[in-house]
Amino acid sequence: MFKEFAKGLSITFKHLLPGHSTTVQYPKVKLTPSDRFRGLHRLVPAQDREKCVACYLCPTVCPAKCITVESAENEKGEKYPEVYTIDMLRCIFCGYCVEACPVEAIEMTGAYELANYAREDFEFTKQRLLK
Amino acid sequence: MVNLTIDGTQVTVSKTATIYEAAKEIGIKIPVLCYAKKLMPYGACRFCLVQVEQMKGRLIPACTTPVSEGMVVTTTSEEIEKVRKTVMEFLLVNHVLDCPVCDKGGECDLQDLAYEFGSTSNRFEGEKFDLPTDEVNPLIERNMNRCVLCGRCVRVCDEVVGYGSYSFINRGFETKIATAYDRGLSCEFCGQCVSLCPVGAILPRPFKFKARPWQIKEVDSVCGYCGNGCTVTLGVKDNKVETIRFNDEIGVNDGNLCIRGRFGYSYVNHEDRLTKPLVRKDGQLVEVEWDEALQVAADGLAKAQQGQGAGILSGARLTNEELFMLKQVAKTLGTENLDNSGGECYKGVTEGLKETLGVAASTGTFPQIEHADVILAIRSDFYETHPVVGMVVNQAIRRNEAQLLVVADKKGKLDKLPREKTLLSQPGLELDVINAMCKVLLDEGLAKTDGVDGVEELQAALADFGLAEVAKRTGVDAAALQTAAKQLAGAGNAAILLAYGLPYQGLSTELATAAANLAMLTGIAGREGSGLYLCGEKANSQGAIDLGILPQGNGLGARAMLAAAAEGKLDALYVVAEDPLSSYPDRDSIAKSLENVPFLVVQDLFLSPTAEQADVVLPAASFAEKDGTFTNAERRIQRVRHGIKSPGEARSDGAILTSLAGKLGSSLAFTGSAAIFAEIGKEVPAYAAFNYNEIGPQGVVWGGETLQPASRKLVAVAGGVAADGDFKLVTGSALYHSGTISTRAKGPTAVLSEAYLELCREDAADLKVADGDLVKVSGNGTELKLKAKVGNRLPKGVVFTPYHFAEAQVNRLYKGEAVIPVKLSK
Ligand code: SF4
Ligand code: SF4
Ligand code: SF4
Ligand code: SF4
Ligand code: SF4
Ligand code: FES
Repeated sequence: MFKEFAKGLSITFKHLLPGHSTTVQYPKVKLTPSDRFRGLHRLVPAQDREKCVACYLCPTVCPAKCITVESAENEKGEKYPEVYTIDMLRCIFCGYCVEACPVEAIEMTGAYELANYAREDFEFTKQRLLK
Repeated sequence: MVNLTIDGTQVTVSKTATIYEAAKEIGIKIPVLCYAKKLMPYGACRFCLVQVEQMKGRLIPACTTPVSEGMVVTTTSEEIEKVRKTVMEFLLVNHVLDCPVCDKGGECDLQDLAYEFGSTSNRFEGEKFDLPTDEVNPLIERNMNRCVLCGRCVRVCDEVVGYGSYSFINRGFETKIATAYDRGLSCEFCGQCVSLCPVGAILPRPFKFKARPWQIKEVDSVCGYCGNGCTVTLGVKDNKVETIRFNDEIGVNDGNLCIRGRFGYSYVNHEDRLTKPLVRKDGQLVEVEWDEALQVAADGLAKAQQGQGAGILSGARLTNEELFMLKQVAKTLGTENLDNSGGECYKGVTEGLKETLGVAASTGTFPQIEHADVILAIRSDFYETHPVVGMVVNQAIRRNEAQLLVVADKKGKLDKLPREKTLLSQPGLELDVINAMCKVLLDEGLAKTDGVDGVEELQAALADFGLAEVAKRTGVDAAALQTAAKQLAGAGNAAILLAYGLPYQGLSTELATAAANLAMLTGIAGREGSGLYLCGEKANSQGAIDLGILPQGNGLGARAMLAAAAEGKLDALYVVAEDPLSSYPDRDSIAKSLENVPFLVVQDLFLSPTAEQADVVLPAASFAEKDGTFTNAERRIQRVRHGIKSPGEARSDGAILTSLAGKLGSSLAFTGSAAIFAEIGKEVPAYAAFNYNEIGPQGVVWGGETLQPASRKLVAVAGGVAADGDFKLVTGSALYHSGTISTRAKGPTAVLSEAYLELCREDAADLKVADGDLVKVSGNGTELKLKAKVGNRLPKGVVFTPYHFAEAQVNRLYKGEAVIPVKLSK
């Protein structure tokens, strides 16, 4: 029994030795998230406008109900989102919006440093999301 | 009845049913695309294919195949599924699939079916449609790239509306739906095609990109315009009525609406709506708090009542409950001067019908009209005032081969329907034609005189109405008149239609009396399936009559009140939901009345020309902002439901009247519309039979489907007087508008935005005027300039102008007569 105990502890101690830790010295060191990481959203731009056609599928599917879309008609008679806002305080980063979008107009980036001081700063408007 | 088996279940249905309908009865859903409940079977899409054992397993469309005894039907099998899926693939070959930007997305039948069949790929490839779209039209957007050629728009416009805008053009893959010469739409804009298109090929333009169907809250209510009483389903988003939704499950209108009901809702959201009470201080109307405004109004009215008296004029767009409260206000105030809708136009009902038949309402219901064999419309304007009943008439003709007779001074939509016969008379002499018809029946022994009083007297009084004389006087063909009378008398089921309203005051009592005589002599009055219909112009015209918003005791009627005010013999007027200055006949004298009355309170949605003169203006709520009931022209009591909040501080008429009654010292208080409705039952026995909360989606009809006349007394009426003068002007309703309120709604004004003078080509050529020229119209001591509209609806020498537009001041010319002799010049 003691043998097994020592074996287990040796594994633990091995991980305590320098060069064996899996954490990094954040914020001095930052990790690159995987491609599939679900971080801050980004609205994909097209030629002269956003790719989003204001179909209302993402606000409909969003379980946290944090997406606000208001559609309108532009000068060319096209449908576009006059308003597109995500309330990051409510977003649960499930990625359903990305999955629902029929035109691949919304994606999730690797940005995860979303802390901020004021509530308003969590309102991600169309302009901010297009960046 | 026929027995058959569908998917192993026995079902018994009527022998006129189709397989689809039989399956629906037992809850088996067969996919359909081109089928529509209210249209005749067509069979264009082949989604509904089923197998019938007796037909050697061939696939046949369920929506067009009638059931037969012993049929054994299979609605799903591997083979059927395969065929349906292939049909879908074919449809999707050229379909653009722009669902993300298509406003139909979410309620599109094609989308739903594709989802149901799991069609994710297509074995066939072809070019996508790339046809020009019509997005210029302010009301109806057409994008034929999304069309699935189901023909529902073509059929509804023909079968129901009777207009026939669309048809299929080109052939094969090029086939598309287009108007004549593939031009823009220029039609009634009733939007029936919009409501029936299963895909996003025909859409309501005002609703473009406004919302997705699932975001919309649906509120079932009643149209606030005419007495047709169509149920409408308000599409509400963010406290705004954004659209009118298609709904054929409720009401009597089968989902049919006219332009006013479907596209005329936007006045509700108008930015000019009154939002705060106004009181005149130092000559200016200034915004005040409710309490102050109500106090000023109450004090002013009470003071006037101490003096020479106060009068109350109401419109007929208040709910029954509000009208009841209005009566309470009158009682509390102690005035007997109470009236509605100008006090004249409805007298056909309250005097004409009351004297003859002893009832003050139409005797039949609208659905009965569809099964009538002969329909007589007095005045062709009936279609303009009550378009959806007009559609029922069209269906009666097309489905049941009814004969339509029209007695009118001008042609109209009704005259374009098949199997119609118009007896075109001189304006103002329709009365003579009806009298002559009565005489024909009496003379030829065709009249049903059992239990009818006054036969001899009528016979004597109608001595001058011989066929030949009347034909000469009115211009109606004698033989046609005689045939018409006989047809009406010989019909199993028949209907007589007559509309009343502010522009139809002249001879309103006489016409209704003559129509009632005819209804008695033909046996229409009180006969099951037949009816005499007197249809009010406003949503609750019948309610106003039922509740007795009429002069009480020795009180003054509307005309007398206005006359007294003009002479300085009335100290206050309280005008609710009316704009007399814009819509009552004889504008100049109304202006004088409003000027001379010392105290004027106006309660309305907008600062109307009348309200501008007021001392106190109370902002009221529209039909979309209140609860209650309306009674339509066939006596159907239907629920009006609250859909949105009123703008600013505007309150419902009911709430205002309750507070005002309180300020005047009434202690009466109700806990809501249901309580008031119950109270109404105590005063109006016919309403006592119903419970407010039990009024279902079809409403309730007081007096039953066929109202039995309380008396049958023929009352002779003298004929009309032919107007002299070069031209005879008649006024009335235009199809696109109703009253004056629709001129504030975007939809109707997009089609018709100003008054016009309609005249025939011949007259136009004589006067050398072209469409759009200004014409001077002089008569009745005034002169107006109106834009000419040249058409072929009117006979020579007759001109027409609609009365809706306040700016045109047509009511300076029109003083309540049936015809106005006028002179025209360029
Ligand atoms: S699903 Fe895509 S196209 Fe639709 S509203 Fe969201 S981002 Fe825009
Ligand atoms: S009509 Fe239906 S299937 Fe076609 S684009 Fe519109 S929503 Fe999609
Ligand atoms: S709006 Fe009415 S009249 Fe015009 S095309 Fe459509 S159905 Fe026909
Ligand atoms: S426009 Fe609509 S209703 Fe008309 S045929 Fe095409 S799909 Fe059917
Ligand atoms: S205006 Fe009259 S006919 Fe038209 S939808 Fe309204 S109630 Fe029906
Ligand atoms: S629904 Fe039967 S053929 Fe279209």
